[in-house]
Amino acid sequence: MGALTDPRGYWGDLTTPERGVVGAITVFAVLLVLGLLTGVLAPAYFLYLVGLAGMYALLSFGLNSQWGFTGLINFSVAAFFGLGAYGTALMSASSSPIAGQFLPIFGLVAALVLAAILAVAIGIPTLRLRADYLAIASLGLAEVVRLIVLNEREVTNGSAGVRGIPTFFEGWPVLETLPQQLPGIFIQPLPGTRLVFEEPFWSALLNVAVVVTFVAGSYAILRRAHRSPWGRVLRTIRGDEDLARALGKHTYGFKMQSFVLGSLIMALAGVFYAHLNLYVSPSDLDPVTTFYVWVAVILGGSGSNRGALFGGIVIVTIREGTRFLNGFEWIPVDVAPLRILLIGVLIVVLMRYRPQGILPPQRELIWPSVVDEAPDQPTSGVREARMGGNDD
Amino acid sequence: MVVDYLASGLVFSSIIVLGSIGLSLIYSIANFANFAHGDTMTVGAYTALVTFGATGGLGAGLLGLPLGFFLALVVGIVAAAVVAVLTEKVVYDGMDAGSIELLITSIGIAFIYRAIIQMGFGADFTRYDVQTLRPIEALLPYGIRVTQHDVAIVVSAFILVGGLHTLLQYSDLGRKMRAMADNPDLARVSGIRTDRVKLWTWIIGAGLAGAGGVFLGLYNQLSPRMGFNLLLLIFAAVILGGIGSVYGAMLGGFLIGMINQLTPVLGQLGELLPLVPDTFAIPIGIEYANAIAFVIMVAVLLVRPRGIAGEGA
Repeated sequence: MGALTDPRGYWGDLTTPERGVVGAITVFAVLLVLGLLTGVLAPAYFLYLVGLAGMYALLSFGLNSQWGFTGLINFSVAAFFGLGAYGTALMSASSSPIAGQFLPIFGLVAALVLAAILAVAIGIPTLRLRADYLAIASLGLAEVVRLIVLNEREVTNGSAGVRGIPTFFEGWPVLETLPQQLPGIFIQPLPGTRLVFEEPFWSALLNVAVVVTFVAGSYAILRRAHRSPWGRVLRTIRGDEDLARALGKHTYGFKMQSFVLGSLIMALAGVFYAHLNLYVSPSDLDPVTTFYVWVAVILGGSGSNRGALFGGIVIVTIREGTRFLNGFEWIPVDVAPLRILLIGVLIVVLMRYRPQGILPPQRELIWPSVVDEAPDQPTSGVREARMGGNDD
Repeated sequence: MVVDYLASGLVFSSIIVLGSIGLSLIYSIANFANFAHGDTMTVGAYTALVTFGATGGLGAGLLGLPLGFFLALVVGIVAAAVVAVLTEKVVYDGMDAGSIELLITSIGIAFIYRAIIQMGFGADFTRYDVQTLRPIEALLPYGIRVTQHDVAIVVSAFILVGGLHTLLQYSDLGRKMRAMADNPDLARVSGIRTDRVKLWTWIIGAGLAGAGGVFLGLYNQLSPRMGFNLLLLIFAAVILGGIGSVYGAMLGGFLIGMINQLTPVLGQLGELLPLVPDTFAIPIGIEYANAIAFVIMVAVLLVRPRGIAGEGA
């Protein structure tokens, strides 16, 4: 059934949208490779993009475990992302107004603890609310968090942001100096182009390794959680909360667990971002980040983890791809509004024509063995089962 | 000092009220939280900017504003209504979706409005080309610093809200709108053409939002994000007043606007209140004015989800 062992069978098993996505990803990957080979895309910048895509995938996973699994409309994604970024930045940065200078691993712990506290603090008042009230209330509370980060200068350095954030592996035995020690490699794949693999490339590779670890870890946890009895309760709550309550489930508690779990993953994305960007500012808590992540999740298909991954890649393509347009002088409009316009049109078109998303969850909710062992066709016909065929 | 805050609270409230009535109407009749409502205000503001730029200082002045400005106001109202009705026809109408899907769609609509405005006018702040006025001299001895423009905002808002009240209470359409807000299904089986009422609701709600946007631009400045920045305050007002109740939205808008402008008082409580030591103060600055409104909103949702004008939880 694998794509490598039996490509034809794998292709035959895919639905039409899945084929489209596989095709689009293939074309996109070929374009990227071409860009790398011709030198349009610098290898280090390419890895930065991969890091960003991984970060959006993490954010989408987080939102997916709230909205996709449990049906919680959380519009405070940016707050958890920003708190994760600020948590680690304030612990580890050289210009931090409070603690500072700690190892990033402590920053990671601090960020996760902060996010868990905030999740409970936002969850307690809002999770009892009706769905649309939850959306408005969580957006309002996220704005409160943004205002606090913006105005409490003694703690957060205010609108100036925090600089001097170390890379994630600073203070680690081997990994800290690994990028400097690796040799510079120069390759000439085509005449006239030259690929440079030097220190920035190696440290970007290290960043990608971090985000891949985060993504893989979260994916494994979420996949297991989603298929567990716990995940089944969440899906029941999403489908019909009254039913879940009638079955004796403490829905508020389950919602809170799902909310905290998702928020921790969002904070993890923030931690990665802080050590990728090496600078955080209150603008990272802007509500537009929340809506980017929402587009990623809806586009991918609510409840589907692979869809979240796909949505994350599309969002980075929109965000960074529009940056490329800056290079073309003939485009008469500013790029920033073009990006917002694209996001807006994408939301409207999706909700109007394909609200379930491009890759809605299908088999990933079921144990694979169940699918593999199920017969393709019934072993006996309906008529035989009815003992005879005299109904025509 | 407090009188001055109250006066500016009244001005700001007028703008919030104009926004919150429309949001509340659309919430109750189209049955979703319209996140594009703030950007509808922006549409009104920028249309007025263009119109005013074309007509300029037409005719004599009224309350420090040329008559051309009032023409621009009307055009802004009409433009906001037209844009909202077009959006309803093209996007929302015929969508087989629940309130959550519509809510998310309206976020997309909000982005589209904002992006188009930003493409045309840039992200920077602009102003209406009207003279900046000094506060009215006669009121200064009482400690009130308001300009004639502020008075124009309050008076215009009063006229618009009064007009809506008359419409709701004394016209056929108003009765149908109230019936539909109360119980859409009952209204439909009673023979009310609910589609037409819904359309009028969009026109009235978005028109008032357009007026609110024009006044917001006159009160502060214009920027593509102006309406979106105000949206959560308007939601706070609507929720405080009680979703679906037009009069609740007025009351909620008034209270939220007042609370917003009265925030500095918290830092001077000791000096203002008798029997309290002078040094007593709640150390929350004006920068948290919006945050206070959002916290009130969440508190209201928890304690009394149907708002102060609602029938209770």
